[in-house]
Amino acid sequence: MPGADKETDLTERIEAFLADLKRGGSGTGPLRGSGEMARETTYLLRRITAQARWSSAGDLMEIIRNEGRRMTAAQPSETTVGNMVRRVLKIIREEYARSRGSSEETEQQESLHKLLTAGELSEETFREHFVHLKANVIEAINELLTELDGTTDNIAMQALEHIHSNEVIMTVGRSRTVEAFLKDAARKRKFHVIVAECAPFCQGHEMATGLSKVGIETTVIADAAIFAVMSRVNKVIIGTQTVLANGGLRAVNGTHSVALAARHHSTPLIICAPMFKLSPQVFTTCSLSLNDVNSCFPVLKILSKVNVHCPVFDYVPPELITLFISNIGGNAPSYIYRLMSELYHPEDHKL
Amino acid sequence: MDKDELVEYFRTQVRQDPEVPSAVAAIRTLLEFLKRDQTGETILGLRENLTQTIRRLEEADSSVAVSSGGELFLRFISLTSLEHPDLSQCKKVMVERGELFLKKISLSRSKVAKLCHTFIKDGAKILTHSSSRVVLKVLESAAADKKRFTVYVTESQPDSAGRQMADKLQNLNIPVTVVLDAAVGYIMEKVDLVIVGAEGVVESGGIINKIGTYQLAVCSKAHNKPFYVVAESFKFVRLYPLNQQDVPERFKYKADTLKAVEDLAEEHPMIDYTPPSLITLLFTDLGVLTPSAVSDELIKLYL
Repeated sequence: MPGADKETDLTERIEAFLADLKRGGSGTGPLRGSGEMARETTYLLRRITAQARWSSAGDLMEIIRNEGRRMTAAQPSETTVGNMVRRVLKIIREEYARSRGSSEETEQQESLHKLLTAGELSEETFREHFVHLKANVIEAINELLTELDGTTDNIAMQALEHIHSNEVIMTVGRSRTVEAFLKDAARKRKFHVIVAECAPFCQGHEMATGLSKVGIETTVIADAAIFAVMSRVNKVIIGTQTVLANGGLRAVNGTHSVALAARHHSTPLIICAPMFKLSPQVFTTCSLSLNDVNSCFPVLKILSKVNVHCPVFDYVPPELITLFISNIGGNAPSYIYRLMSELYHPEDHKL
Repeated sequence: MDKDELVEYFRTQVRQDPEVPSAVAAIRTLLEFLKRDQTGETILGLRENLTQTIRRLEEADSSVAVSSGGELFLRFISLTSLEHPDLSQCKKVMVERGELFLKKISLSRSKVAKLCHTFIKDGAKILTHSSSRVVLKVLESAAADKKRFTVYVTESQPDSAGRQMADKLQNLNIPVTVVLDAAVGYIMEKVDLVIVGAEGVVESGGIINKIGTYQLAVCSKAHNKPFYVVAESFKFVRLYPLNQQDVPERFKYKADTLKAVEDLAEEHPMIDYTPPSLITLLFTDLGVLTPSAVSDELIKLYL
């Protein structure tokens, strides 16, 4: 029966995706960028909307929430998966509200105003059935996909405003967003880039090769030299894995040290991060809880009586950051909470 | 309804249920006034009466919370009267919505506790100031979640409110130590985080709280410890103090002191202002907010 085939096909794809997620984390599968991860997740969510069986928005949200929970459990450090699930949930809520004819603004956020003026303690159940809801949701998800496709270009377009001639820019490790950003500025400006190699995997080397191919003067330095070189740097531009709700970052190990060195020399720290990296998590004081731990094989070859910790991520507090450049423009870290409230609904923060 | 009756009603509310926040008691009193008021013929007249009543209540209890509760109620009246220009129908709607509002905000303390207790990790050492029922609720939920933590409470002179907090915490089987107000700098290196309540949250995102909070905040900033504030949303007040002097005198001293004493310069203030730069996060029933988000909320309500 075609219906059952579609369902088994869907479950197969979901299982394949989950297996891929798990493998990606253990380092044996191909290392994927977050952009690809976000796109894959959105494709899968679109497929679920199209093929799964649901009659009302509430059912669809339940299905997506369940799948989202499984996906985030498979790979907790890959936050873009959870973010995309939340975006899609918000899309569904908006389309539902639009179909009902109520203005979307009023229902969304908790606020003092809403507390005072709301009528009954109405629980929105999303039970009504609308014929065009499926088509509308899929169209909105397609718009989301177009947005995802354009993020790197949108960020790179802003490069000329921030990079001026004869500047010395420092960056850390390898970030596709920052690479595109710098390459775009290099079309019209001449500047110098210092790349910190970022041991133990030394992704900085790839970054430096990529930049020099386009004709940018690049220097590679060891991580230990960051503070020493910082006095000659005009700006520090880095990417990140996740942007947290309080404006802080969860970025590759070593970023906090760079941020502190930049603060010490009063050098602006600019983060290039697309909006899909914005996650509703707020940092909690215990840093080990937010970390994966890497295999330490490249670090130490002799492992008899020594305990080696090789954390993957670092937390950078919002006070050290000057500016966030995202596909929707530049923002201060204190404004991140506002962007978050526009992207996600508060009830979806905890899947 | 007579003004003295109102004050008596307010006092009875507070006496009967010591857990009720003073802003909620104030709003309940004002709602009672609204129900019993027969004299008002126009909405403007109603507002006049209410403003006078609020002033009378503030004379009885000069805390910031009563003032913010009163202002919120006035705002509530204005918003409702805009929708229903006819007075008698307006009153009916107001009473309905008022009851609903009271029901919602009675749940706000539990909402705050639910948000905040996840920030308390196992083995944490928490420092708190004076006696706050919201902080107590937060610590209660964390303890109920089987987390192990220790609490240091400042004694908080001149009324030694910290000791009462310590007693309440001991009843919950939470290990607690009372420290001198002067020992905050000494103890700061040992603690992991600081959680305080607030009597009022001002527009800039700063807070007004028992005297000694500012000191605590400055010390925690110097030691790089997170400084968390837990407050319900009805405590948001439309003040924008730039320094300690800007906080209005009527909040700084107890109501009896304001009436009895001539020269306030001789008196010790009961509250101080903590600027937003020292606060890490605010936990409210509207969610976890950064100090910059507070003014957003107030703007949404008042403008």
